[in-house]
Formats: sequence, structure tokens, C-alpha cells
Amino acid sequence: MRVVIADDETLLREGLARLLTDVGVDVVGKVGTADELVRKVELTRPDVAIVDIRMPPTHSDEGLVAAASIRDAHSSVGVLVLSHYLESHYATRLLEEHPERSGYLLKERVKDVAVLVDALERIAEGECVLDPTIVSRLVGRPREESPLDELTDREREVLSLMAEGHSNDGICKKLFLSPKTVETHVRHILLKLGIADTGEYHRRVLAVLAYLRG
Amino acid sequence: MGRSLGALVACALGVAVGVHTLVLVHRSPAYSFAGGSLTGGIALLAAGWALIAAGVVFWLQRPTSRFGIVLAAAGYGWFLLEWNNPGVESAIVFTIGLCLYAACPVLVGHALLAYPGGRLTAGVERAVVAFAYVGGVLVLGPLRALLFDPASQGCGQCPRNLVLLSGHGDAATTVRRTGVYLGVVWALALCLLALDRLVRARWRPGWPVLAAGAVYSALVATTFAASTGRGLLWNGTLERHLWLGEAAGLVAVAAAVSWSRISSRRARSTVARLVVELAQSPPPGGLRDVLASIVGDPELVLAYPVGNSGRLVDAYGRAVDPSGRPAQTSVVCDGRRVAVLGHAPGLLDDQELLEHVAAAARLALENERLQAEAHARLEELRASRSRIVSTGDAERKRLERDLHDGAQQRLVALALSLRLLRSQIGTDEHAAEARLAEADAELDRAIAELRELAHGIFPAVLADGGLAVAVRALAEEGPVPISASQLPQGRFAAPVEAAAYTVVAEAARAATTGLLVRGSEHDGVLVVEVETANGDEALDRVSLEDRLGALDGRLSVKREEDGRVRIRAELPCGS
Repeated sequence: MRVVIADDETLLREGLARLLTDVGVDVVGKVGTADELVRKVELTRPDVAIVDIRMPPTHSDEGLVAAASIRDAHSSVGVLVLSHYLESHYATRLLEEHPERSGYLLKERVKDVAVLVDALERIAEGECVLDPTIVSRLVGRPREESPLDELTDREREVLSLMAEGHSNDGICKKLFLSPKTVETHVRHILLKLGIADTGEYHRRVLAVLAYLRG
Repeated sequence: MGRSLGALVACALGVAVGVHTLVLVHRSPAYSFAGGSLTGGIALLAAGWALIAAGVVFWLQRPTSRFGIVLAAAGYGWFLLEWNNPGVESAIVFTIGLCLYAACPVLVGHALLAYPGGRLTAGVERAVVAFAYVGGVLVLGPLRALLFDPASQGCGQCPRNLVLLSGHGDAATTVRRTGVYLGVVWALALCLLALDRLVRARWRPGWPVLAAGAVYSALVATTFAASTGRGLLWNGTLERHLWLGEAAGLVAVAAAVSWSRISSRRARSTVARLVVELAQSPPPGGLRDVLASIVGDPELVLAYPVGNSGRLVDAYGRAVDPSGRPAQTSVVCDGRRVAVLGHAPGLLDDQELLEHVAAAARLALENERLQAEAHARLEELRASRSRIVSTGDAERKRLERDLHDGAQQRLVALALSLRLLRSQIGTDEHAAEARLAEADAELDRAIAELRELAHGIFPAVLADGGLAVAVRALAEEGPVPISASQLPQGRFAAPVEAAAYTVVAEAARAATTGLLVRGSEHDGVLVVEVETANGDEALDRVSLEDRLGALDGRLSVKREEDGRVRIRAELPCGS
């Protein structure tokens, strides 16, 4: 696994690099700005670029813009955006355009290296990744009467994992369920929520997200 | 010219009718109410002539009002009571008397209720007056006269009834009796309506007219009541005394009408004085002093309404409350309230005078009102600005406190944890492990707190995605469900978006039930509407108004009839 890290905060950049190197990830580049990142990716073609959402010069959404341009230019390079923002808006901005090989995690996940590595691996395999805190906020947000109320606890759990970008296999492993059971759950959930089941993984993630945000 | 001629003719006719009636009475006093006495004669002439004179003078001064004509007609009617006297000899006079002898109280009642404009305004008054005409004129007069044959009723000396259709003695008596009973009803009704007006009019200039008229109507009602036994208007001793009382009442009515004309003339000279004073254009705020000196009330309060808010201010834009004075009068120009006067009671009760004053002072009032409004707005702006500053200060204070008590406290605790950890390394692995977990949790809390704090200062998503996106993000936050499918997706100037967002966020904070948010942009105005079931009391309206006001926007908070709260913000967005 080869990664490039882009963060304008040196301490964080270096710390993250060391943490990842320790668990065997090959950090091939560390940069402080979006422009450098794009150049570095061009040069090194990593598996995943880890990008801070706020970078110079305006410290607003440079990371997101860089992520989009990397995904545009190199279909084989995944991006993992690290962000302070809980709002699903930013994550949706990233995932809607390029759901495959894209991920959005809250920045504090950097201290949980297992979660980080898991996300990197899933992205490298072509999945998309969305932070569980953001998903649980979406699932739990107050709403008027909704079909969500009719889901069983297990189904809600499965729904959350779907929104986090897990494939059926991933959900099986996470919940220790058989593929058949998971498939049944997924079918029930989509039916109850009125989401068309296209069978296509990325489209399903986006549909579930759109439903939760709606 | 035509009017004075008419007046002259009316007076001459009055003199003639009066003298003729006096002659009739003297020829056959036994059948008359006045009788042969000097008192009776004086009462007869005084009441009739006073009414005619007062009516004619009133008509000359206010030809547009029918009051004068009706009053003069009542004067003639007063004499006609004596004309159905069997001893009048002339068939024409007798017939006129038969038809109209009870017309006077009806006309007086009509005039009273139409005083001074000449028009009956209330439906009940119109109905009662119409009823009185039917009972007092139609039933007692022509209706009965058509059936009344004097000769067959045993009145040998009576002249011929010229309008006799066919003599039906019993029917005529029944009609007459009915007329008398009706007379009790309508005379009492007229009296009560006059009293009602009197009570409502308080001490307006017209009150003596109403009072005298009410007394007169009461006497008439008593006369009718006393006559119900016989079924006709009889001239017994009691009735004659009542008749004298009626005469006195009518003289009083005429005197009251004349007196109020004089006082209104005085008022007119007041207005003339006002015009002269205003010609010298008083200094700003000086209009109150001018009006105060002219109406003779040094404590007079002159207040101007600001906008449509119903707020009242003085000429300098300071809030003022005219309801502190015993009486308040609104000055209305073109159907719009331009000023409110708080004054001593009875000063401006004359609607006519008020209209004249308003007309004379109109420009000056309008001018000063505009100045007052400008002052008031300036004052509002100043207050709003200082509120904005203090709100900002309070907000900063809150941030400072939150940072110190929250995130900083946690970081300090963390530093302490780390320090302790260092001393535990290598000595107590187990405790060090627990300490680390604790520090980790503390850090998580600090991060969450900082994020919340930063979001509270300004939601980055608003700058990044605009109003619709930010409201959608607000819906993720809770605590209440927000439905916001209809918001303009386009971008607006940052302050406009921030203000609109603040309205929704504040509504979400104040409400405990779901929010329905709608928005649209038309003609350069962004309208955001929030509908919810409650929260209008908890809403910080002042700071929202300040916020919108700073952008020339407007806020309205309404509770609809269905109990829903509707918060509406209008913001000029210049696109």
C-alpha cells in the first residue's frame, strides 16, 4: 500500500506518516499544499492520497477540490479526505462525483490507526468510505414520521454500514452474518425505504445517502 | 341670494302660520291645547317660532345639512296640532290639521337623531324614525282622515273633511286608537335613542340639544300614554300641562341649537387664529405649543404614528403616550391617521372644529409628522446599533467562557494526565495504561467541543454551500425536524445568506416541533418563511429584527388562526 499525505500542519503530517509506516504502509510523499499534492500524485502514482480538507491558501475546501482533480486525472489513485466537518454536505460533494476509491473521515480518526488502515484498504479495493459518526448522525437525525421507524435494530445497523460504504461482504464480516442473511436484510431495507435496488454497489451507497439526507 | 330669499319666505310663512294659529285658538279655545290664556298663547308662539327660527338659521349656516329644514318643519308642525280644531271654519285648514296634527314630535325626533349632519347614520335610528313617520303622520293623520266623516261622528260644527273617502266611524276610531298606542311606542323609542346618543356623546357640544329633545320626546310619550284611555289626543288639564312642558322643551331645543352654532363660530375664529400662527411657520416641535395655546390646554400632547407599527412619537421622535391625558382625538387626513392629540376633556369634541383644525394645520402636521418619523427611525437605528454591539460583546463573552471552561479545561486536565503518565512509565504499567485511556477520552471530548464551538461561531457550510445547503445541514443537527425542500438553490450575498440562515436557526432553536422552511426570490427580495407550531414566545425577535434591519430587511412573526406560527423574513438581495 503506497500513500501520499497532504496536510499543511507539519506535526500532523509527520505523525500520521510515522503511524502508517509503523503498520507497514509505504508513505511515498508528504506535502503541505494542494498544488504540491497534485504534482506528487502525478509523480508517484500512489494507491491512495490522504488529503486534509482545509489547506492553504484559503483554508476552506482546497482538499476537496484537489481530491476531485486527482480522481478526475487518475482513475487508479484513491483519495481519503480528512475533515473537521460533521455536515454530510462535504462528504456528499466528494462521493457524488467519484464514489469509487473515495473516502471521507473525520480528522480525529488519525489516532485510530486500525480504522485508518481499514479505510485505506477499502478505498484501494475500489470501495467508498464514509465516517461512521456522520452516518449515525444522519440516521439518528430528527425527522417527522418516516419509513426509517419501521426498520428493526439489526436493519438499522445494516443500513448504517451500507451508508458507510461497506459492501455486502464487508457487512458479513462486521456483523458475523452469513451472506444470505445480509442479502435478505439489504433487500428488506431497500424495499421498506422505497429505494430501487440496482444491484450496483456505488449507486446503492449514494441512494442510501441521498435517502438519509432527504 | 336664493337662500336668503328662501329663509325670508320661511320666516314670513312661520309668522303667518303662528298668528293664524293664535287666532284659531282664540276663536275656539275649548278645543285647543293652548287655551285662551296668555301663557298658552306665549307658549304656542314661542315654541313654534323658536324652532322655525333656529332651523332656518341653521340651514343658512349649513345648507348641506338637512337638520335645519327638518327642525323648521317641526316648528310648523307644532302649530298644526291646533288646526284640527272643530271651530276653525275653513275646510282646508281643518283637513291639513286632520292630516298632520301629530307630525311635530316625529319631525323633532328625526331632527334630533340627525343632528347635526342631517343624516340618520345608524340602522336602528333610521328604522325608528320611519316607524314614527308611519305611526305619527300616516296612521294618526291621512289614514284615519280618509275614513273620518266629522258630521256622522257627531261634530256638527266641524268643517268638511276634504280627503274623506268614505265614512267608517268605527274603523276611523280603531285607526286613531292604534295611532295613539303606536305613539307611545315611537315617542318612547325616540326618547331612548336621544338618551343613548346623549350618553355616548358624553359632553360634546351637541349634548344640550339631545337632552332637551329627550325631555320633549318623553313628554310626548307621556301625553300619548295618558290618551290611550280615550283613544285620542285629548286636551284635558293634564294634557294641557304636558303640552306646556312640550313647548318649554322645544324652546330649549331651539336655544340649544342656536348656542351650539355660536360656539362653533367661536371655534372657527380659533381656526383662523391657527392659520395665522402657522403662516409664521413654527419651529420644529412648535406645532404642539401653537395648538396648546389655541385650544387652551397647556398640557396638550401631540403624537405622531410611525409607519404601520402603531407606535406613537412626539415631534422629536421620542415615544409618547397620549392616553395619559383624559381625552384622545385622532386627526385623520385622507383616511389616514396623521396625529393623535391627548387633551383635556371636551376640548376637541366638535367634529366640525376638528376637521377645520386638521385642514388648517394639515401641511404643518404632515411636515412635523415626517420629521418625527425621521427622528424616530434614527432613534431606532441608534438603539439597534447599540444592541448589535452589546449582542456582539455578549457573544464574545460567551465564547471566551466556553473556551476557558470547556476546551481549555480539558487540555489542562490532559496536560496533567500526561505529566502523571510520565512518572508512571516503567513503574506501574497498569495505571499508565488506564491513564492513557483517560487522556484519550478527554481529548475526544475536547475535539468534539471545539468543533461545536467553531460551528456555533459560523457554520462553514453556509459559506461553502449557501443557504439551502446550510439549512439542510441544520436539519442534520436537530433537535427538531426541518423540512426545507423549497429553498432557492442559488447563492446570495454572504450577509443576506447569513441573516436568512440565522432566522431559520433561531426558529429551530426556539421551536420544539418540526419546522417547514420555504423560500423564494422575487424582484430582488429573498423571502424566507418558517412555519412551525410554537416557539414564537421564545424567539429572540429583537436581535433578528436588528440583523434584518441592518440589511433593510423585515421580519414578521404571526400566529395564524389555525394556531401555526409563521415567521417571515424579507431581505433585499439585489439580484
